[in-house]
Amino acid sequence: MDAARVGVITFPGSLDDRDAARAVRLAGAEPVALWHADHDLQGVDAVVLPGGFSYGDYLRAGAIARFAPLMTELVAAAEAGLPVLGICNGFQVLCETHLLPGALLPNAGLHFVCRDQRLRVENADTAWTSEYREGQELVIPVKNRDGRYTADRETLIELADSGRIVARYLDLNPNGSLDDIAGICNEAGNVVGLMPHPEHAAESLTGPSTDGLGFFTSIVKRLVNA
Amino acid sequence: MSEQRPNASGRTDGPQDTSDEPSLEWLGELKSDADDPELQPVDPSVTQAFEAMLEEEEPAVPPASPPVSGQVPPATGQAPPANGGPVSPELSSEFARALAEEGAIGPSSPTADPTRTTPDLNGSGPFQQPDGSGPVQRSSGPFGMGAQPPLGSGTGPQPAVGTGPQPSVGSGTGPQPAVNSGTAPQPVVGFGTGPQPAVDFGTGPQPPVGSNTGPQPALGSGPHPAATAEGQGTGPQSTIDAEHPLGGPVTGPLPTATPTGPQPTVPPTESQPTATPTGPQPTVTPTGPQPIVTPQGPSTGPLPPLGLRNLPESGPQPAIGGQGSGPIPVVDGPGTGPQPVVGGPGTGPLPGVEGTGPQPALSRGRRIGMGTGPQPSIGHGTDTVAIAAASPERSQPYVELGMNDEEYQRVREILGRRPTSAELAIYSVMWSEHCSYKSSKVHLRQFGEKAPKTDALLVGMGENAGVVDIGQGWAVTFKVESHNHPSYVEPYQGAATGVGGIVRDIMSMGARPIAVMDSLRFGPADAPDTQRVLPGVVAGVGGYGNSLGLPNIGGETVFDECYAQNPLVNALCVGVMKHDEIKRAVAPGPGNRVILFGARTGPDGIGGASVLASATFDDESEQKRPSVQVGDPFMEKLLIECCLELFREDLVVGIQDLGAAGVSCATTELAAAGTGGMHVELDAVPLRDETLRPEEILMSESQERMMAVVEPGKVDRFMEICGRWEIPATVIGSVTDTGRLVMTWRGETIVDIPPGTAADEGPVYQRPYEPPLDLGALQADTPGRLTRPSNGDELRRTVLWLAGSPNLASKTWVTSQYDRYVLGNTVLAMPDNAGVVRIDDESGLGIALSLDGNGRYARLDPYSGAQLALSEAYRNVAATGARPLAVTNCLNFGSPEDPGVMWQFARAVEGLADACQYLGVPVTGGNVSFYNQTGTTPINPTPVIGVLGVHDDVRRRVTMSLTSDGAAIALLGETREEFGGSEWAHVVYGHLGGLPPLVDLPAEVALAGVMVNAIREGLVTAVHDLSDGGLSQTLVEACLRGGLGARITLPGDPFVSLFSESVARAMVAVRPGAEARLAALCEAAGVPVTQIGVAGGDALSVSGRGAEGEPQELFSIPLAELREAHERMLPTYAD
Repeated sequence: MDAARVGVITFPGSLDDRDAARAVRLAGAEPVALWHADHDLQGVDAVVLPGGFSYGDYLRAGAIARFAPLMTELVAAAEAGLPVLGICNGFQVLCETHLLPGALLPNAGLHFVCRDQRLRVENADTAWTSEYREGQELVIPVKNRDGRYTADRETLIELADSGRIVARYLDLNPNGSLDDIAGICNEAGNVVGLMPHPEHAAESLTGPSTDGLGFFTSIVKRLVNA
Repeated sequence: MSEQRPNASGRTDGPQDTSDEPSLEWLGELKSDADDPELQPVDPSVTQAFEAMLEEEEPAVPPASPPVSGQVPPATGQAPPANGGPVSPELSSEFARALAEEGAIGPSSPTADPTRTTPDLNGSGPFQQPDGSGPVQRSSGPFGMGAQPPLGSGTGPQPAVGTGPQPSVGSGTGPQPAVNSGTAPQPVVGFGTGPQPAVDFGTGPQPPVGSNTGPQPALGSGPHPAATAEGQGTGPQSTIDAEHPLGGPVTGPLPTATPTGPQPTVPPTESQPTATPTGPQPTVTPTGPQPIVTPQGPSTGPLPPLGLRNLPESGPQPAIGGQGSGPIPVVDGPGTGPQPVVGGPGTGPLPGVEGTGPQPALSRGRRIGMGTGPQPSIGHGTDTVAIAAASPERSQPYVELGMNDEEYQRVREILGRRPTSAELAIYSVMWSEHCSYKSSKVHLRQFGEKAPKTDALLVGMGENAGVVDIGQGWAVTFKVESHNHPSYVEPYQGAATGVGGIVRDIMSMGARPIAVMDSLRFGPADAPDTQRVLPGVVAGVGGYGNSLGLPNIGGETVFDECYAQNPLVNALCVGVMKHDEIKRAVAPGPGNRVILFGARTGPDGIGGASVLASATFDDESEQKRPSVQVGDPFMEKLLIECCLELFREDLVVGIQDLGAAGVSCATTELAAAGTGGMHVELDAVPLRDETLRPEEILMSESQERMMAVVEPGKVDRFMEICGRWEIPATVIGSVTDTGRLVMTWRGETIVDIPPGTAADEGPVYQRPYEPPLDLGALQADTPGRLTRPSNGDELRRTVLWLAGSPNLASKTWVTSQYDRYVLGNTVLAMPDNAGVVRIDDESGLGIALSLDGNGRYARLDPYSGAQLALSEAYRNVAATGARPLAVTNCLNFGSPEDPGVMWQFARAVEGLADACQYLGVPVTGGNVSFYNQTGTTPINPTPVIGVLGVHDDVRRRVTMSLTSDGAAIALLGETREEFGGSEWAHVVYGHLGGLPPLVDLPAEVALAGVMVNAIREGLVTAVHDLSDGGLSQTLVEACLRGGLGARITLPGDPFVSLFSESVARAMVAVRPGAEARLAALCEAAGVPVTQIGVAGGDALSVSGRGAEGEPQELFSIPLAELREAHERMLPTYAD
C-alpha cells in the first residue's frame, strides 16, 4: 500500500517545517507540504503544525496563524478526527484555535530556552504516542520563547483527571509551565500539542537522542493499521 | 640595544615593513580596483601635497631605531632589574584586585607550607625544555634561586592576610572564593600569613621577595629552546631581561617596523596637527549626522545664533532670524538627517538661484521647525544637478557628514562641479571608513597578495562574501561582520540587526543561509553596564537568529575591562549553494530592471553606518539612539524564502543586500560592477514615512531590504513570487550603458555621477603608525614575577578558580538562548571544538566552523596575536576531523588615527596574511571595525578569525566529550612554559604582560594532520584542543561534557603542565587497541605524543611530581564540584 501521507503546514515564519517533514519521512510516511494560504488539505492522513514564529508572532504566539485560510479546513478536519500534532508554535496555534484548552505564555525566565529536556510520557494512548509506554522517559530538545503552559484551575484538574496531559518535564521545568506540562491532547486524543521538538530527536547524528521518532512512528502505524 | 627591537615586531622577520613606503602605486593593485583606470588613488595634487608634507615632516620624524630606547623610558621603571623597584606594593595591590574580583575577603591566609612542592626549581619544566630557563636569569634574581623561582610564599602577590581569597587551608573550599575560604591559587597557603617572608629563605619580612627579583627571568624566559625557528625572532622575553638587567628589556621590544614614524600619506592635508587634519573622521559630529551648522565651520555668512544642534528644522531653511543670509544648511530635524543639503553655514546668496535670499524649503508638514520665516521653495526644495552646477560656491556640510576638505574637493573634481546634496550624501557614506576601508585598504591587500594557491576559492574577496568549493558540486560562503557600536547604544537591536545584516550578505551570494555564530566581548562580567549590555546582546542575537530559523552553532563570549564601553558583537553567517547558483552583485545588461524588495524604507539609522561606525563613544552617545536600526526578523525570514525561490527559478542576474549606506551603496556598487550605468527614480522607493527626503532615502539603513537586477521578461514572475511571500517589490529603475548613475526625484535630476567613483574609488590612506609607547614596558613585565601555586591543594584551587572564571566558565547561559537545532543539520555546536553542519544528507558532506580571537595576546604582540587566533580556529576545526579550508576575519581595533592602533592593525593584518599563506587557507573576506575606543583608550586589538573546514562525512566527526571508560588519554604537542597573556595571569593577578605563546605554524599543520587522520581512521573517541587555560581547562571541559572523570599523571612541572598555553596541542582519548597506530601516526608527523592518563571515574584526579620530585597524587576534584564551579558563574552575573 501507499505510504501514509502526513501534511506539514508552512505559515510565513514557520521554521521547523522541513525538519518535521524529515522526521515524517524517517518514520516511513510521505510528507506533504501544505501552504497556509490554500484552502486545501490535499487529502492528507494527518497534519503536523511545525515550530517557528508564524507571522513573526509579534502579537501573541499563534494568534495570527489561527486565522490563516487553511486553518478553516484544518479545524473542521481535526474535529472530525484527523490526527493533528502541534509542535511548539503549532501547539500555540492549536490553543489559539481552541482545539486545545489553555494558552502558552512567555517563559518564566523571559529568555528563549534551548536545552535537551528530559520528559515523561504520561499518556501513551493518543494518536501520536502509542509507540511509547506510559511513564517512559525521553530526552527531546525544547526550544521556545513562549512555552509556559497555563490554564485555569478547573481545566488543569480536568486535564489531569482525564489523562489528557501527554507529557511532563522532568528534572527542570524549562519555562514555568503549570504542572510541568510539556504536552496535552484533546478529548478524543487525535489532537496533540507538544512544546518540545520530537522532530529534532529523530537522528542520533543531529539530535540528543532518537526518542522523538516515536511520535511519528505512532501515527504511521496507526494510519497503516487503519 | 637596537638589536632587541625584534621583540615587538616580533617574531617576524622579514620585510615586515614594506608598508613603510608611502608608495602610492599600491593603490592600483587593490583587487576590486585593479581594472579601473580611474582609480589612481590619489590625484596628482594629492600626491604633490603628500610629497610636500613628507619633506616637511622628515626632520620631525624621529629616526627609526634611535628613539627606541628613549621612547620607552617607562619600561625601565617597570621592569625592575634585579633588586629593583618597589615591586611589592604594586603586586600587592594587584593581588588585592584579583581578590576583589574573586569576591573573596577571606581573612585567613594560610601560609604556604614551605611550598616548594615544586622541585622544578627552574620553574620551567625541565622535561619540556631541557634547559629552558636559562640560568642566566637566575643571576638576576636576588636569590640564589636555588629553590624555586617564584619564591614561594614570601613573594609578591601574596595575599596579605585578610585579603586572600585563598582559603584558609583547612577550609579549602570550592573554587570560588567563598569569602572566608578564598580559593586563590596562591601558593601561600600554609601557616604564616600576611606578606610573609619567604619562608624558606628566611629573607626578612619582605613580601616582595620573589617579585623583587624583577621580571623574574627564570620563568617564561630562557630562550625557548625548541621554540621558534630562527626567523621567528629571538627568544621571548627573557633573553632580554637577562642581558640587560637594567632597562634592557625596555627598549627591546621596539619593533623595527615602522621606523619612520608617522608618515601620513594620502591625506595630503596638513601634516601638522590641526583640527581635523588627516582624520577623515569627523570627530565632530558625535551626535549624528545632523548637519548642524556650526559656527566653527569655515563659514562666514551671518549665522544666526541658533541653538545649533537642536534645530528641529528640516529642509533647506531660510536663515532664521531672517538675516537674509544665504540658505542655512541646516537641513533636517534632529536625529535624522544626514543630509547636508544646500548651502553651507551661512554662505552667501546663491547665485543661480533666483532671488537668492532665504532659501526655501518645503515646509514639510510635521517638521516645522524653528524655521518660520518665509520659505520660498526652489523646485521641491531639492538640490538638483542644475542648481549645483549653477551655485558652485555654496558651502556644504561635508564636515558634518564625515568628509574632510580633500575628500570634498575630490568629489568636486570628479563631478566638475559641487555635488548636489544627494550626491554628497552618497559620497559621504560610500567614502566613510565603514564602507570604503580607506584606512585599512593598504594593509588588507596583503590578503590577496599573499593568498595561497588554492583551487577552493570560487569567488574571492571583494564580493559580499567569498565562496569556497567544498566538493560534490557544493559551494559555501561565509563571512563575519561587526556591529559593535550599535550594540553598545542599543544592545538588543544592535546585535539583532548585526545578525540580520550578515545573513543578507550571504543571501546576496545566492546561498541559503544555514547557520550563524557570534563572537561577543564585554566589560568585566560583574560590571553594572555589562549586565545591561550582555543580556541585551545575547537576547538580540538569539531573538533575530532564532526567528530566522538559523541554528547558532558556536562562537565565543569573552570579558575584559577594555571592552567595558566598547562591546564587540561580531556575527558570522554561513550559507550553501550549488556551484551554478552563485550570484554576484552586478548589474549587467542595459534595459534590465532594478527592483527594490523587502521592507519599506523609513528613517532608520540614517547615517548610522558612517556616523555610528566612526565616532568614538563619549557622553553624547545617548544622542545616537535614534540612529540604531530596528530589525524585523519575520520580514527577513520571508526574504530568505523569497530569494531562494527567485534563485531557484533563475530570475535575477545580479543581487545586492542593503546594509550600511542603503540605497546609496546598493545602486553604486551594482552599477559600478555591471555595465556601468543605472537610472533610478528615487520617488519610486516605497516609503514607510512619506516625508523622507531624497538624501534620507539614500542613506536610510532600514533593514530587510534587497535590490535585484532582473531581465524585463522576468519581472512579472519575480513580482509574483514576492507577492506569494507578501513582500513589497518595486521597480525603481533600470540598467543603462551610460556609465553614469543618474537619479531623479520628482522629475528632476538630483544625482549624476560615475558610480565607480563612489563605490570603488574612495580615498585611500596610509596612516602613520608606530608601536604604542607602552608596548616595551608591557612586554618587559613578564608573568615570571607572579607567584605560582606550588602544591596539590593550590593547584586544585587554581583549576577550580579558572574553570569558574568568566572567560573559561560554561557559556550555557548564553548558548541556551540560541536555537542550535533548527534546520536539523547541526552535528556539533557550542561548546564543542567547532560547529559542524551537515550539508548533504546522503553523502554526509559537511562543514566545520570555528571563530576565535584573543585580545590579550594581540595586545602583547599583534602580529602573533592574529596568528594565534588563526591557529586556534584552525586547530578547533581540525579537532572535529575537518580539513581547514578558508578563512574570514573581523578586525576590531581602536582609532586608526592613533598611530599606536594603526601599528597594531598593520601588524595584525601582516601576521594573519603570513600565517594564512603558510597554512594554505585563503582569506575569503572579512570586515574591519575601527574606532573601538573610549576617549583615547583603545580596546585591545582584537582580530577575530573564522576558519571553515570540510568534512567529507560528518558521521565520522568526533566530539570533545570523554565518554569511553578506560580509554587512554594522550596529549599531542609540546608544552612550553608560556604564561604571557594567559588566562592564569589574567584571572589570578589581572596581569597582562610579557609575550604571548610562540606561534608554531608547522606544528599546527602537523597536529591538524594527525587529528584529521586519527579521526578518519577511528583511532580516537574524543579530541579537544588546548588553548585558553591550558590542559587544565581542556580536561575540565572534556570531563564535564562527557560526564566521565579522568586520572591524569602530569609529565612535567605540574603548574606548567596544567596551565601553560603553548600552541599546537590537543588532548585525545584513544580507542582501546589503537594506541600503537596513533603513536605511529604522530611519529610520522613529528608530533610529540605523551600518554597522560586514563578516562574513568567521577572525578578529575591529577598526579604529578611532588615537592621532592616524587610522584604523588596532587589533587582530585569530584565532577559535581567541578561542574558547580564551571556552570555557576555566568548565571550569577547575568540573571
